Amino acid sequence: MFFIAYRQMTARKLQTFLTLLGIVFGSIAYIVISGVLLGFRVYLLEQLVNNDAHIKITPKVEIITPEKVYPLLYPDNKDISWFVPPSGKRDNSELRNAAHWFAILKDDEDIEAFSRQFSIRAIVSKGTQSDAAKLVGVEPYKHSRVTNISENIVTGKYSDLGETGSKIIIGEGLSENLGIRLNDTIFLSSGMGKTLPFKVVGSFRTGNKGIDDSVCYASLNDVQLLNRTSGKISTISIRLKDVNKVKIKTKEWSRLNLESVESWEDTNASFLTIFKMQDTIRYSVTIAILVISGFGIYNILNVLINQKKREIAILRSIGFESKDINLIFLIQGVILGLVGSILGMLVGYLICLKLSTISFSSPYLSTKTGKMLISYDLKIYFQAFFLAIFSTLLASILPARSAGKLQPIEIIRGEL
Amino acid sequence: MSIVLTNVTKSFSKPPIPMIKNINLTIEKGEFVSLTGKSGSGKSTLLYLISSLDMPTSGTIEIDGNNISKMNSKEIHSFRNKNMGFIFQFHYLLPEFTSLENVLMPARKAGLLKEKLILAEELFEKFDLKEKMHEPPGRLSGGQQQRVAIVRSMIMNPAYIFADEPTGSLDSSNGRKVMEIFKSINREDKTTIILVTHDTEFANYSSRKITLVDGEIQTI
Repeated sequence: MFFIAYRQMTARKLQTFLTLLGIVFGSIAYIVISGVLLGFRVYLLEQLVNNDAHIKITPKVEIITPEKVYPLLYPDNKDISWFVPPSGKRDNSELRNAAHWFAILKDDEDIEAFSRQFSIRAIVSKGTQSDAAKLVGVEPYKHSRVTNISENIVTGKYSDLGETGSKIIIGEGLSENLGIRLNDTIFLSSGMGKTLPFKVVGSFRTGNKGIDDSVCYASLNDVQLLNRTSGKISTISIRLKDVNKVKIKTKEWSRLNLESVESWEDTNASFLTIFKMQDTIRYSVTIAILVISGFGIYNILNVLINQKKREIAILRSIGFESKDINLIFLIQGVILGLVGSILGMLVGYLICLKLSTISFSSPYLSTKTGKMLISYDLKIYFQAFFLAIFSTLLASILPARSAGKLQPIEIIRGEL
Repeated sequence: MSIVLTNVTKSFSKPPIPMIKNINLTIEKGEFVSLTGKSGSGKSTLLYLISSLDMPTSGTIEIDGNNISKMNSKEIHSFRNKNMGFIFQFHYLLPEFTSLENVLMPARKAGLLKEKLILAEELFEKFDLKEKMHEPPGRLSGGQQQRVAIVRSMIMNPAYIFADEPTGSLDSSNGRKVMEIFKSINREDKTTIILVTHDTEFANYSSRKITLVDGEIQTI
């Protein structure tokens, strides 16, 4: 059957080539679109997961309502009416149950590491230049185990940060904006006390402009001292041994109702929504292309079957069964799918290779290599392959079945 | 080894119009039978019934003792493949294949491609087609194409060859050549040949002439 199918296809080269082209384009589109989107996604996800903690525990923000205030102020009087009802939020920058959390986290086997943080807004000045920044006070060693900050250092050494000594590591963008160089002394003010000098021992680049332009790290003790809030912490950052357990652990700790527990997925929900949209677009475009090429196969096979009725009749009369005829046309669909998808994967791969050499720069996102990031995940190629095979098979089944149903006598009599 | 038709009727359309009416007929092994009659007399319909390509509305057709109405699709196709050869008015050769590949198509189905190759070459030689063996049908004359179709019908050494107006698309010279071939196949291989023709000259090549009129056998 394969021989017959193959010969019929090679005998009409142009038709076969055009049909093949549709499948090849479909596969190329899937591989290139997926390669580009997933390439950046893997990079972004890595940034999102590793540049920050898997889970963060922060103080709860409570919204103030008259109902909440009422029993506290007037426990016995129930007929109070307000001229201006209480509103706003009870903002608490301090983690009140820190000790309790440490007790819980210390014995949790799912935790790789956790560290305390205290973040404040600060004015960073060098000479006459100054800029607002987020100053994060960390326990340097522990923090390097929770995030991959030490891998993002571009100048200096992360280990120089130390537990004390007023040393600071600043984002590359902030450093450029203020003309700060390694070993410079800069001045920081939190607005709560006096301005203190810090020695720059390094700069970092995460690739996320929002972070690189406005964040700097110093030791927890130094930040507490700058803010005159000794012993105060605002965040516990946690890294899990298995990032896939993020949802379970967030749920588990949220049930304690002590503080706000937020996973990296919650923090970056908007990114994840974009990824889902990208997936929808990726699949829609590819399916649209494959549906078009599927219709091409369907039409071509239908026309072919009409042209080949007499040959089908003779094949039936010399002993070929209905299922054999069915198989001849089905094989043609499968060959088209196989060859089309393999060619498409190959060309798609080459296009991806070429794309990965193209320089990529964006004011909001930069890659470490400065080139386009392409994913060569085998899953993409398997998906492209099966999508092409599935669509061609589907497009071949109906014409093949109708060919199999043709009765030789009806064709010979000229009824069909 | 014979074909036996008992009270065979074939009707078409709604309401049913009988094209073949209550036919009883026995064709013995090795006979060369011609079915003749005017256009619309039912000769081709009878041939298709006898050859299992069509099923009777009523009555039974037995080939070598097998009631074809009771055979399943696989059995009928296998029986056709191994025991029957078909030749139609038009050659119905597959244009994508060479003459040799066309001839070997029944053998390909039966999985006997290698075994039948020598026979195919002998038959091409016998019918003066040796040089055309590797040519596609499109490069052959009408007479050559029909001869290739005859070779195809013979490749499985069938017990029966069914021919429906095989000379219909040929000139009289080529028509005579084809009839001579049938005669020699019947004589040398003892193959049963059932031939439909409206040409009395070609019908004379057969050993028995059956004339149909309005779906009934008039003379045997």
